[in-house]
Amino acid sequence: MALIEVAPVRIGVDIGGTFTDLQIYDARTGAIVGYKTPTTPQDPSIGLMTGIKEAAARYNFTLPDVGFLLHGTTIATNAILERKLPKAVLVTTAGFEDVLEIGRHVRREVYALSPQQPPTLIPRDCRIGVAERIRADGSVEVPLTPAALENLAAAIDRIDPVSVAVCLMNSYLNPQHEQDIAGYLAKTRPALKVSCASALSAEIREYERTSTTVLNAVLIPVIAGYLDKLTHRMETEGFRPRLLLVQSNGGVCAARTAALEPVRLLLSGPSGGSAACALLSKILGEDNLIGVDMGGTSFDVSVVRNGRVNVVMQGEVDRMPVRIPMVEIRAIGAGGGSLAKVQRGKRLTVGPESAGSYPGPACYGRGGVGATVTDANVTLGRIDGEKFLGGGMRLDSQAARGVIDAEVAKPLSLATEPAAEGLLAVVNANLGAAIRLSLFEKGVDPREFTMIAFGGAAGLHAVAVADETGIGRVVFPENASTLSAYGILHSDLIHDLVRSRVLDATPEKLGAITPLLECLVADARTRLDADAIPENDRHIELSADMHYKGQAFELTVPLRSLQLDEAALPVLIGDFHDLHRQYFSYSNPGSAVEIVSLRASAIGRLPKPAAKGAAARDSGQPIGKRKIWLSGGWRDVVVWNRDDVFPGVTIEGPAVIEEAYTSVLLVEGWSCRRDKSGHLVARRH
Amino acid sequence: MNVNVADAEISPIELEIIYNALTAAAAEMDVTIWRTSRSTIVRELLDYSTAIFDRDGWNVAQAARIPSHLNSMSYFLTEILARHIPPDRWGPDDVVISNDPYCGGQHLPDIVAYKAVFRNGRRIGFVGALCHHLDVGGSSPGSYGSSATEIFQEGLRIPPVKIVERGKLNEPIRDIILQNVRQPDILWGDLQSQLASLHIGAASIERLAMKLGEARFEAATHQLLDRSEAAMRAVIGRIPDGTYEFEDHVDDDGILDTPIRIHARLTVEGDELTVDLSGCSPQVMGPSNATLSSTCSTVFYALIASADVPIAANAGCYRPVRIVAPPGLCVSAAVPAPVVHRIAIGHRLATVLFGALHQAVPERMPAAYYAVSYVVTLQTIDPELGRRVLVEIEVGGIGALPVSDGASALSFGMHNNANIPMEMIESDMPVTFMGYGLLSDTGGPGQWRGGLGLWREWRIDCPMAQLSTNLDRFKFRPFGLSGGEPAAPSALYLIRDGEKQALRSKVTNMMLRNGDIIRLETSGGGGFGEARLRERELVERDVRLGYVSAAAARDSYGRSS
Repeated sequence: MALIEVAPVRIGVDIGGTFTDLQIYDARTGAIVGYKTPTTPQDPSIGLMTGIKEAAARYNFTLPDVGFLLHGTTIATNAILERKLPKAVLVTTAGFEDVLEIGRHVRREVYALSPQQPPTLIPRDCRIGVAERIRADGSVEVPLTPAALENLAAAIDRIDPVSVAVCLMNSYLNPQHEQDIAGYLAKTRPALKVSCASALSAEIREYERTSTTVLNAVLIPVIAGYLDKLTHRMETEGFRPRLLLVQSNGGVCAARTAALEPVRLLLSGPSGGSAACALLSKILGEDNLIGVDMGGTSFDVSVVRNGRVNVVMQGEVDRMPVRIPMVEIRAIGAGGGSLAKVQRGKRLTVGPESAGSYPGPACYGRGGVGATVTDANVTLGRIDGEKFLGGGMRLDSQAARGVIDAEVAKPLSLATEPAAEGLLAVVNANLGAAIRLSLFEKGVDPREFTMIAFGGAAGLHAVAVADETGIGRVVFPENASTLSAYGILHSDLIHDLVRSRVLDATPEKLGAITPLLECLVADARTRLDADAIPENDRHIELSADMHYKGQAFELTVPLRSLQLDEAALPVLIGDFHDLHRQYFSYSNPGSAVEIVSLRASAIGRLPKPAAKGAAARDSGQPIGKRKIWLSGGWRDVVVWNRDDVFPGVTIEGPAVIEEAYTSVLLVEGWSCRRDKSGHLVARRH
Repeated sequence: MNVNVADAEISPIELEIIYNALTAAAAEMDVTIWRTSRSTIVRELLDYSTAIFDRDGWNVAQAARIPSHLNSMSYFLTEILARHIPPDRWGPDDVVISNDPYCGGQHLPDIVAYKAVFRNGRRIGFVGALCHHLDVGGSSPGSYGSSATEIFQEGLRIPPVKIVERGKLNEPIRDIILQNVRQPDILWGDLQSQLASLHIGAASIERLAMKLGEARFEAATHQLLDRSEAAMRAVIGRIPDGTYEFEDHVDDDGILDTPIRIHARLTVEGDELTVDLSGCSPQVMGPSNATLSSTCSTVFYALIASADVPIAANAGCYRPVRIVAPPGLCVSAAVPAPVVHRIAIGHRLATVLFGALHQAVPERMPAAYYAVSYVVTLQTIDPELGRRVLVEIEVGGIGALPVSDGASALSFGMHNNANIPMEMIESDMPVTFMGYGLLSDTGGPGQWRGGLGLWREWRIDCPMAQLSTNLDRFKFRPFGLSGGEPAAPSALYLIRDGEKQALRSKVTNMMLRNGDIIRLETSGGGGFGEARLRERELVERDVRLGYVSAAAARDSYGRSS
């Protein structure tokens, strides 16, 4: 079956903690519509199926009309954070069983007397060393004997795990021993799920590679179990779309791949939002965007440069490194529920502790006693307590004032409003610092960026944070509360492949580099074949992780074609020097450059929905005025309903623009218009 | 003073925002070094620090890195300003570097670079970056030998000099430095990343000062110091008044076999604290000596870490503390004493201070940690690859706390080093690792067990190599508290032709040959509380996981499982 969309309907779904968001594209009408249904945490596939059936009834499509189901999930992340994990074994080179537990042995809390270590997911009595050794040039020093394999299998039997991780020294250079172990276990213990480091993350650095492999091994039963349940539920409903899962790199993969390499889903939560930013970059015609997603507990920053989401080669979950390509997100613990505290010495800090969704901020009236960011916004009139969540929840503004007064104003000897305003100033400065650090690391200037603000809490802070960082343009996209599902709907299939080999970037080494690249390209083609991607929709990109000899950190430099020959090598090296200068303000054109890893991205382009622009009304009026505290005093501020903002009208700050799940605060010096695709675009004068 | 800082009113909220911005500036400098440095010791071990200072050289904000660096950088800078390069000789585009322990530094591998930050022609602050460099010359590869008896053998001593003047690189100075070190490319790469980080930090500070105006910026730095001082005074105020003494020993100085006594007498009076170190041994012949700069940094680390509430660490914390250390002791070494292993003194002093504070605030102080930087230096000379220098710094176990076991194999106390990925080392030099793991039975028994130490084995795969080590804790074991027992001692072995022989803790330029294996075993942490009180389930778990052998469980905890 070729991966050509014949059925007219495509669905993107994002399963969050509270809601399951659907975005549905119907090629027959060209419309994209959204649908929300409560998440069913005990088995998320129930809520998913319910949502799809309800949406089908409402939007006039049948289940067989659905060609693709693109599925984003945080099941993998949650399983790790909650430690709901199966029993697994780690196989290492004998003598290196504790690499996983020792980690990099550095602490983050410099002055703590009891510093935290990263968790060890496979305990010491479930780690088995096997006699074998690969040298640093890939040759074999200690062969893996049949006897060693038998001993290993016997040791595994005594532990009786469901899953096995295999990570041997220098396996990034020579996967043979890992493959031998996997092959032997597949033959003799076929029920075991085996994850090999060399297949998942063939990159130098034993701890990071081991950690990645272990995370994959413990996730296989979790994700495979979920996918079984989901496909079974779909089967019984006669629902048979192509199921694709959202990966951490912002692309999707086949369910079959996800079941074998679930670690690729591990940090996919923010992928959808970033994919949406990349899409908006095209729609808005803006190359450089910074996406800020602010919800109840966290503020996630992602960066789009030259129309593409920035991807990094390593991330972490709960302090454990995950060495796979992922959308780069800088997350800080600052959201609507973040708690303010006045520490000894009159230090006002906000977050990372959060009031959570229950009891939540004091203004929710559910017994919350801490002063939160939302309470400050309510106290200053920035959130209308009568219209919260589209009127679905009434906020107690007296309770908000009460906690701001008790927790912030009194300890700092301030009046209530200045205390609330100060709390917001601290938050906004923290958000600004997170953005600055994200851009700073890339050596780029915030003034060249447009901010995309989404998530429930971003609207009230975005313009202030833009002022803080020198950003002059902020876009508030349509459907900001389901933007992640919207991004998922537009994702492509992506396979990330890597081969690690530390080599001098010189013509003499081309003999070693060329076969590696050929290998990568062949592997990429095989994977796209397996996904049945038509030739015209295939795209393979190569890149090289490079550094100056001796550096720890590599920059990923794209190759300009699929071949690297004597003519292309100097161009690649030149591109590396340029990138280095841009990131770090200097380059050393005379210095030796090394290639550490070669990468391929095999991309299967899925047909893009061609959405019609939202119909615009041609007139509208503000709905009224409201008292809001701004820059040290109460002011009468114009309030608009977002639906009434039509193209052609310019709203001057200060103003508030309300919509169902969020509001936008425009301060003085800013104006805002609605563009033809329905997005609100604010500009500083 | 032409700016009246007293007039500038800064609210506590604004002050917090400014503090966060200064810390973010230090973090940006930190990221710059991490991403651009060249040597394994900086890039993988993370042996570097960055900080922001006020116009007089007092540290205002720090990036979270190495405590022993962070709280000595003010000392160094104020010494340079007072005795070497007075403030009026610093221009906006000058960078001053030095590594001289006798000008306010700690040991020669640590080259510190400072840059003054100006606004409207007025100096408003400084930024500083310290890196431990791979090799600064001297008699031992890695400049970390254990047999020096004078600082002149330890490497090139750079007095405070302008490496950059009016934006222009001082090439003769650079050339002198590079001519005297074993891997000049790497040193220069790391030094460049320091210069880049100063540039980044200065731009950040200028931007902040532009927003605030220089008067308010300066007022803010003053108030940040005052605020941390007040916090520190409050912390000291909550420690019961009294005098608390404790002592421990460093094994030896590598030259003579005599133990080095580290003794502290803490006197708490109201909100002030005196640390009297007069009872420490005189300075020693070998390199286990600390200058006063190192020692001050240790005292401040130990007090900030011991505080019952988190404190914004900066030079304001130093004000309520008086340190008494007559010149010429191992904690206040005088020229020309060798000092490269000053961290041995620092680590041990930190545990001694914890031990003394345990008497005052027993509910929060841990038993002794391994308290030594296990420095192993290898130089390989391969006919094809040429010369390679490796400096590794290993760690051990942390002391148990009154409520929990100590962590195993984690950087603690004065240093905060990552290990170097073994695959990285193997890809770069003719060394093969035989293993790396936790060591059973090394944690001090107790109601709460100390963390485990570790072992690491290197095999030499080339005809010629040299080993130098600066180790300790072979004789004096990490102590337990409240009836907890001490941890196991450390050890170093050479395995040659299948025969294992014990080596001393301080080895200098020992010639190794193809196939030789070096094995390091590090100490665990001390136990807390009596071992017989330990819960049975915890003992059983420890045996199951192999943290404690069945035999040791019987001996120490009086039960088998």
